[in-house]
Amino acid sequence: MNRAGPPNGGGEGTEQRADAEGAGRPSGGDAKGTKKHLAAGNSGPPSGGAEGTEQRSAAENSEPPNGGDAERAPGPATPEGASGRVRGARRPPPGGPAPTPPPTPLSTPALRTAHRRTAHPVAWWGWALLLATAAGRTANPCLLLLIVAVAGLVVAYCRGSEPWSGAYRVFLAIGLTAVAVRFAFYLVFGGADGPTVLFTLPAATLPDWAAGFRLGGAVTAEGALAAAYDGLRLATLLVCVGAANALASPRRLLRSVPAALYEVSVAVVVALSVAPQLVASVGRVRRARALRGNTRRDPADLMRTVVAPVLHDALDRSLALAAAMASRGYGRAAGVPPAARRATGAALLVGLTGLCAGAYALLGAATPAPLAWGVLAAGAGAAVFGIAYASKRVPHTRYRPDRFTGRDWAVLASGAAALAGTVLSGLTEPAALWPATNPLAVPALPLQAAAGVLLAAAPALLVPATPKGTP
Amino acid sequence: MGVEAPRPAVRWRAALALALAAGFGLVAMSWPLLAAPGGALTETTSGPWLFALLLPLVTAAVVVQLADGGLDARAVAMLGVLSAVVAAVRPFGAGAAGVETVFFLIVLAGRVFGAGFGFLLGCTGLFASALLTGGVGPWMPYQMFAAAFVGLGAGLLPRTGTATRAGRAGELVLLAVYGAVSALVYGLLLNLSFWPFAIAHGNLAYVPGGGLGENLPRLLAYTLATSLGWDLGRAVTTAVLIAVTGPLLLRVLRRAARRANWE
Repeated sequence: MNRAGPPNGGGEGTEQRADAEGAGRPSGGDAKGTKKHLAAGNSGPPSGGAEGTEQRSAAENSEPPNGGDAERAPGPATPEGASGRVRGARRPPPGGPAPTPPPTPLSTPALRTAHRRTAHPVAWWGWALLLATAAGRTANPCLLLLIVAVAGLVVAYCRGSEPWSGAYRVFLAIGLTAVAVRFAFYLVFGGADGPTVLFTLPAATLPDWAAGFRLGGAVTAEGALAAAYDGLRLATLLVCVGAANALASPRRLLRSVPAALYEVSVAVVVALSVAPQLVASVGRVRRARALRGNTRRDPADLMRTVVAPVLHDALDRSLALAAAMASRGYGRAAGVPPAARRATGAALLVGLTGLCAGAYALLGAATPAPLAWGVLAAGAGAAVFGIAYASKRVPHTRYRPDRFTGRDWAVLASGAAALAGTVLSGLTEPAALWPATNPLAVPALPLQAAAGVLLAAAPALLVPATPKGTP
Repeated sequence: MGVEAPRPAVRWRAALALALAAGFGLVAMSWPLLAAPGGALTETTSGPWLFALLLPLVTAAVVVQLADGGLDARAVAMLGVLSAVVAAVRPFGAGAAGVETVFFLIVLAGRVFGAGFGFLLGCTGLFASALLTGGVGPWMPYQMFAAAFVGLGAGLLPRTGTATRAGRAGELVLLAVYGAVSALVYGLLLNLSFWPFAIAHGNLAYVPGGGLGENLPRLLAYTLATSLGWDLGRAVTTAVLIAVTGPLLLRVLRRAARRANWE
């Protein structure tokens, strides 16, 4: 979405608009700022040489107006990622630094491939959510395990070496915990019954004022199996989400946020960059404290001599950053005409009202279900339209837009195949999707669903694995 | 107090959007209790998942309405830095049962910077922390939404005089009590949102179409069995953290708010 057009709202804000290159490049001899950014910037590795130098934000090379802060808060946080969008990028500032021809990062094929390394994060999330929806429509353990295996295969093939790439394993552990918790609940509080008693726990019945539940009692094979199937379903859903966490880069995801949420996404990007700096700041303050001979450990003293300086430092840094951003036109009320703002507001409010009314209509029995669902859908549509319309009105450009390519659509389609297969199986052989646990039976594998889930493994072939060391 | 600069003002449209979102969130979280027998929601299994998907949309709509016309750069920077602090202190609470180190910050910041800022901080703080730890799960929309309303409520609390010692103490007590209550409600609502998924059979499970009389005792028993200890721990730690760190943090935040008033 390369919308570089200046806002149609009069000349206001012209001088507040910053040139993309001018803001993104150290304007003179500020190589220190660059190094600082790369060294202290992020938890993740600096994303590729080209991006590291290109996407420096306005904050780097700026002198905040309240001069004293410049020394204390060196190199404020850099809204990397979202700094790709700068208002009115085509217009150089009237009196700004002389615009030198911008280095064209996409011209060399090597950089192009470095940028297009893995599928779009939205595609990964869509793929994972479709797979999770497929998992939610079945309780067949074979199919669920197949989904877990497919997700694991794709993660093993396509993940990079970023800090978040280990999320799949973490979510696998969470899923196993969910199965264990479900099982413990079954043992203590009971569940589905059956004739095959495995063993009997000592039982106790709570008094009536405590709802009269029975604790313990007979543990049956059927009940245990039902609990295990149910737990496995939840675990599979969680594992699918974990796969999305491992595959999708959060920084790239933030660049795909609708333009209407621009300010908030900048805040999140600032947060992602500042968090590691806070850790460094704590270390610095504690070192200085130790050098002053203060090694006391009581919390009150720590509050006063560690927490307070770190917070002061962080907040002062945020002010310096704000000054730098304001001087380059970030976070300014752009020239959106009042009529457009009113239209946006109306669409959003109508959407929210529809969602609210639909949700309440779904609760009661008075409204027929199709009407309630329709109101809910209409509300959601109006809200989406409002956000999209607001995004259209925001005169931001996207620097190096992250486009949705054919491969990303293929990733999405492979996820949709899993869901389609499960839906087909649900129409033709619903018994295989929801295997009976009473009487005990070996669950059969529903063929269409299994074929669909296997198709969802296609990203492992489509998307190249990231070479080690170049995330 | 003269603390106006980084406060995103809540205009009437944003206030209306917030009210509507609160209504939707109430249904999205507590539908197991509110769904009447024979209602459309009890006849289907996909409804709850739909709520989990619609909640981010509602949150986004409210945030767009709150940021209408552009947030001030100072608010954006302050939001970013405080979200980083939230994300940085959150792991301290993850290890120990029931120790919650997020709320006191959101409550204090919401108090100083206002309701709109508190709402945004609840969203961005938990979002940033989820992104940093790779913990974007189905629970995240609910957590963001609930934490956002915790911050909003903190900004809406009545003002107390900060000039006198008694006024400051009264403010701390007010905030601590609010923190404890909101932490308990937060725990109950999150429990409620996850309850139908966490357990499907047995005495503690949600009964579709059971109505309030059938499901409320089950929910209470479920809360008692699973999370009451955690919720109490969260309430106590929030109140204690507010009482202990409140004087310092309120001073630091108010100083930052004053300094941000450079125009």
